[in-house]
Amino acid sequence: MALPAEHVRIQHEQMKTKQWRMKYMKNNAFRYACLVSALSLGVALFSIVIFISQTGFLVFKDVSWKEFFFSATWEPFEEKYGAAVFIAGTLYLTFLTLIMCTPIALAIAIFIAEMAPNWLKNIMRPMLDLLVGIPSIVYGFLGLTILIPFIRETTGTLVGDGFFAAALVLTMMVLPTVARISDDAICAVPQHLREAGYALGSTKLQVITRIVLPAARPGILTAIILGMTRAIGETMAVVMVIGNTAQFGWDLLTPTSVLTSNIVMQITNVQFDSTWNYALYMMAFLLLFISLVLIIIIRQLRPKGE
Amino acid sequence: MNLKSFIKKFSLVALSSSLLFGSSLTVTEKTEAAQQTGKIVVAGSSALLPLTQQAAKEFKKANPKVAISVSGTSSIVGPQSVSKGSATIGACDWDATKPVPGFSAFQGLNAYPIAVIPFATIVHKDNPVKNLTTKQLQDIFAGKIKNWKEVGGKDEPIIVVNRAHGSGTRVNYQLKALKGSSFMTQGENYKEVSSNGNMIKAVETTPNAIGYTDLAYIKGNIKAVSYNGVEATVTNVMNGKYPVWGYGYLLTKGPATGANKAFIDFIQSKKFQQGSLKKLKFIPITAMKK
Repeated sequence: MALPAEHVRIQHEQMKTKQWRMKYMKNNAFRYACLVSALSLGVALFSIVIFISQTGFLVFKDVSWKEFFFSATWEPFEEKYGAAVFIAGTLYLTFLTLIMCTPIALAIAIFIAEMAPNWLKNIMRPMLDLLVGIPSIVYGFLGLTILIPFIRETTGTLVGDGFFAAALVLTMMVLPTVARISDDAICAVPQHLREAGYALGSTKLQVITRIVLPAARPGILTAIILGMTRAIGETMAVVMVIGNTAQFGWDLLTPTSVLTSNIVMQITNVQFDSTWNYALYMMAFLLLFISLVLIIIIRQLRPKGE
Repeated sequence: MNLKSFIKKFSLVALSSSLLFGSSLTVTEKTEAAQQTGKIVVAGSSALLPLTQQAAKEFKKANPKVAISVSGTSSIVGPQSVSKGSATIGACDWDATKPVPGFSAFQGLNAYPIAVIPFATIVHKDNPVKNLTTKQLQDIFAGKIKNWKEVGGKDEPIIVVNRAHGSGTRVNYQLKALKGSSFMTQGENYKEVSSNGNMIKAVETTPNAIGYTDLAYIKGNIKAVSYNGVEATVTNVMNGKYPVWGYGYLLTKGPATGANKAFIDFIQSKKFQQGSLKKLKFIPITAMKK
């Protein structure tokens, strides 16, 4: 009479194996789905880099790299491909933006994290998130119709386009990003550090500048570099207020041009397979290269094990 | 009883009418299928886009079997994508089979003029200057004349607003208004913009600016300046007095065939030229005295 019981047991075992196999298969399938998704991203990045650099480096068949990087004469229809104006312009504009943006963004972050009452925090944070989401073309349009006439009238300059207008627009755009991430970094500083500071008799200013900010430094740096990558890559807002002229604009009020604005102005208007086209691809590669370097820096700045 | 017979009658009528309608539909489809089939891909000039879009809509109605897709980026894309084979028709603001300033000729393409596009020199509405000669325009756009008072205006610096190299409007303006003389490329009173819309915005907001655009776009705070004493109007273009205009072209690889030929013929037809084309503020090609 033990047989049926045995039979039932075996059947039960088999069912368990089957269930287990199904679970195993599902598990495996899920693992591969995730792996493929992750890989496809890597493949996309890799092919972008390969494609842009392959086309870009063709420019050095016709133009020496010395001319490309150090000559300031960009007259493609006369076969002069000096991109120094745009490279220097991109770096200068980013630098200007950061100088204008960082102190204000930090002040906003400190205000939200350390000083504002809770109800104000709950207004300020969603407001910054909303500002991050405004499309860049909107900023560009406001810059073109309001900011530029204003600059022209107050400074007495002729055109009004230039680095000053572009840096102001970019500052407006980058500010919420930097402020929001710095805010998170400051909030992540453990409360007991502040309490220790107050216990030793520090003022609020001392606690913030000597304890909180140094402790939040890696996070704040990440915020600044993220803002920087956004400023470097920003195109639509910049192209509308920079003047798009291949000349240096160190005095801030002369129309000039940067890598992104020059690419977007010209890429649809050049012949395929021309040196001009390759030169624009090379500029795109430079942009890619600059932001990759910045991202590597971010990763290095982060404390290990995070 | 009444109801039943009504239902019977009604279903009979419905059935027969649907049969009739259905059969008539298949008949028309057959005759139209005999007219045109195939694929038309139009790419190129954004200035001609409203025209090609409208034409595609009407052409599609008459030839439902034809698949048409229309897009607009910039003029040079037209001849390029036709040469490459990614489009069957390229729209371009100039005759790409001939060399123009900055662009070499495209080999093996056929060009069909489809519309006349007039251009005009524009200044801010408050600018007292009413007329400029070819020589004055050449010198202004080359950066030699720098003050409005040298051409009869106020004592104010001239701000030159230009389109980017490769713009169809720029090519035509340079050829027709400046007679091929070259533009300045830098200076603190010079800037370039990326589209007709941005050109108008820039001149509207800059009292001392000078620029140029399609005649059809002029309204609001900008005004057109006369060219060698001739006012920039559609009438003056048609009677041959105002020379600053160009043809818009459709290009095909080799002579157009099949559906593409039918499409180009349709745009060049009197019905379309006098109807929709005029409504879109282009000038019919037939209106020009050669």
